[in-house]
Amino acid sequence: MEWAGVDVSVAEVEQRLARLRMEAEEGGAAQRTSVMTHIAWVPEPWLPAALETLRGLAERHPSRTILLVPEPDAGVAAIDAELELERFPLGQSERSICSEIVLLRLRGARAHAPASIVTPLLISDLPVFCRWRGEPSFGSGAFEQLVGVVDRLVVDSEEWDDLPFAYTKLGPVLDRAAVSDIAWQRLLPWRGALARLWPGLAEASALRVAGPRADALLLAAWLRTRLGRDDLALAHEEAPALELVAVDGTAVDPPEAERPTPSDLLSNELDRFGRDPVYEQALRSF
Amino acid sequence: MTELAENPLVEGLELRRRPDPCAIVIFGVSGDLTARKLIPALYALAVRRLLPEQFGVVGVARSKETTEEFVARMGEAVREHARDEFREDVWAGLAAGMRYVATDVSRPGGEEPVVRALEELDAERGTAGNRLYYLAIPPSGIADVVEAMGKRRTNEGWTRIVVEKPFGHDLASARELHATMERHFTEGEVFRIDHYLGKETVQNMLALRFANGIFEPIWNRQFIDHVQITVGETIGIEGRASFYEGAGAIRDIFQNHLLQLVALTAMEPPIDFSADSVRNEKVKVLRGLRTPGPREVVRGQYGTGFVEGAEVPGYREEAGVAADSSTETFVAAKLAVDNWRWADTPFYVRAGKRLARRETTIAIQFKRAPHPLFGAQGAEGLRPNVLLIHVQPDEGISLAIGAKVPGQGMTIRSVHMDFLYGGAFRTGLPEAYERLILDAMLGDATLFTRIDEVEEQWSLVDSIVSAWARDRPGFPNYPAGTWGPPNADDLLHRDQRSWRRH
Repeated sequence: MEWAGVDVSVAEVEQRLARLRMEAEEGGAAQRTSVMTHIAWVPEPWLPAALETLRGLAERHPSRTILLVPEPDAGVAAIDAELELERFPLGQSERSICSEIVLLRLRGARAHAPASIVTPLLISDLPVFCRWRGEPSFGSGAFEQLVGVVDRLVVDSEEWDDLPFAYTKLGPVLDRAAVSDIAWQRLLPWRGALARLWPGLAEASALRVAGPRADALLLAAWLRTRLGRDDLALAHEEAPALELVAVDGTAVDPPEAERPTPSDLLSNELDRFGRDPVYEQALRSF
Repeated sequence: MTELAENPLVEGLELRRRPDPCAIVIFGVSGDLTARKLIPALYALAVRRLLPEQFGVVGVARSKETTEEFVARMGEAVREHARDEFREDVWAGLAAGMRYVATDVSRPGGEEPVVRALEELDAERGTAGNRLYYLAIPPSGIADVVEAMGKRRTNEGWTRIVVEKPFGHDLASARELHATMERHFTEGEVFRIDHYLGKETVQNMLALRFANGIFEPIWNRQFIDHVQITVGETIGIEGRASFYEGAGAIRDIFQNHLLQLVALTAMEPPIDFSADSVRNEKVKVLRGLRTPGPREVVRGQYGTGFVEGAEVPGYREEAGVAADSSTETFVAAKLAVDNWRWADTPFYVRAGKRLARRETTIAIQFKRAPHPLFGAQGAEGLRPNVLLIHVQPDEGISLAIGAKVPGQGMTIRSVHMDFLYGGAFRTGLPEAYERLILDAMLGDATLFTRIDEVEEQWSLVDSIVSAWARDRPGFPNYPAGTWGPPNADDLLHRDQRSWRRH
């Protein structure tokens, strides 16, 4: 069930969503079961990837997803909306549940005040997650506002160019919201593999990583902070995915875990409600 | 453990505890339980990489079968019953550690081939002498297996034994069985399985009660009028006449599943979620359980009737059932929990086969609003608030509340707010056996029944059954496809209450 409108108000978006839900009810018992509001800040180049991730995600996390596509250079200030209600059958029962997907194109000046647009659309009393695609525009009005309304900011620093400097900008965000980095989650099996080398790792002096730069930096920061070893040297070789981790010249046995899909990775972050002090300690060390 | 605690790299990793290398020995492997539940559960654990890398399965039964035939048969069972898609690589890994042993352990030396198979697995698969014996056999065969395997215990590795319900057939036999087990196994090594406790919704009962501040203050006699627990099945005895004729509904369901649901509903908050803390609180409830009198327990047996539009035979016409059988296929009771929290708050429970609906529910019926503000007519459609926990099917929770019907005037009617487990959490609920087998491998007994619980359950059942022995029931007394005999309704009508119908 879909609806699209050009130059719409937020109130109209809410009304249309309610109408779509009623139509869904008429087609058989359908239940709106939500566990969160999921906001995604998706500049146009990231939109195909974001939609692909969402396809594998919506059923797992019944929620209202609000995709914000900023188009600040558009000549006119307006909000264009595309609404979709997805129904997922519930096991063998006749009932189904509904997830709502709201795609808002924020044109012109509307892209500068996203919090005022999403706040009326948040589901009451449920956590708000924001997946920020690409490198955040730290300090910009849009970023600061959205951090102000979310419980958890989810980023993927593998998408960033300005490393490690961008980590120093992300660190202070921890004082205002919980932060998840999908790159950090990808490291989980490797961190497990390294943890198993304890206590042989205690005196390590050199870490060699072949993989994305974000992975190398985060892994080194983790080891330095956990071991209390600022002198641990990092040698990095760029590779599209983490291929090799070696400590003092000895390669670590690669973990067995299968590489998760982007949907799996985001899904795991959306299941997380608490803070991760180990990550925060590593992040604040930059 | 000391090393792990000192390892600064472990913090935050949330490493899932994997069981030690071990072998699981399934006695009674030719039975339905193995093909429908146990092997599919092991497969699901293998898919999720929750089994140890060094793992083996020994299937033991009397029937002749080769390991190859056994593996092929279990592969088919996984294809048919597993909740995950069949993956050749996962199955190959599991099948490589499978052995089949045809033997009768009740005969002298009958355990020898089992011991040899386990030693082979230790040598070939590195299972390190750790054993999990799973007794998927009728209660009458348990003592033989315990004796046979108990006397062959070694000091190498750990040994645990999983026993299916019912544990004994009355208090005396349960104590006798326990004494046999005690000769070879400590209480901490015995895992009495009641698969209801492995169900997510049953565990969610603890979350509902003790993770939400709003329920516990009203979870008592002051606000709750009564509790109804239903374990209803639409199926008959499905070819299990030899077991069911001796057990009946009271030993098959009431003694274990039903009383455990009562215990979880009525228990006090434990101090933590450790095995003994939870079981200490449950056993207190079981100790305080009684039936007010023989009239407050009703038994029934189904006759011919209709289920899902098809005519089905009565119990006495089922294959293997005596033509004059007095085995009950239905039991209902009014139970009192003698403690401060539940005084004068009855727990009405019922369980049966060939009932009108397949459902397991716990209905907490709250007291009516004290003052009829809206007049008799306006509140005609209003019922007392009911918090309904759906254990199966449609796992979830619903709350019936009164709401104003839109329009002129002030008419109130009951509406439902539903939380559907599968709606909010779309990850697929694990089968109870997955959780319980894994817990047994890990040595976590929280969701298993302790001997003192079992004894209290049998004490109550014995007191009911001894009263039944005095007269011969007029069976059959309810048609298949209904909610049991009329005197089950009378049980509540006498208290100006009625059973939930749906």
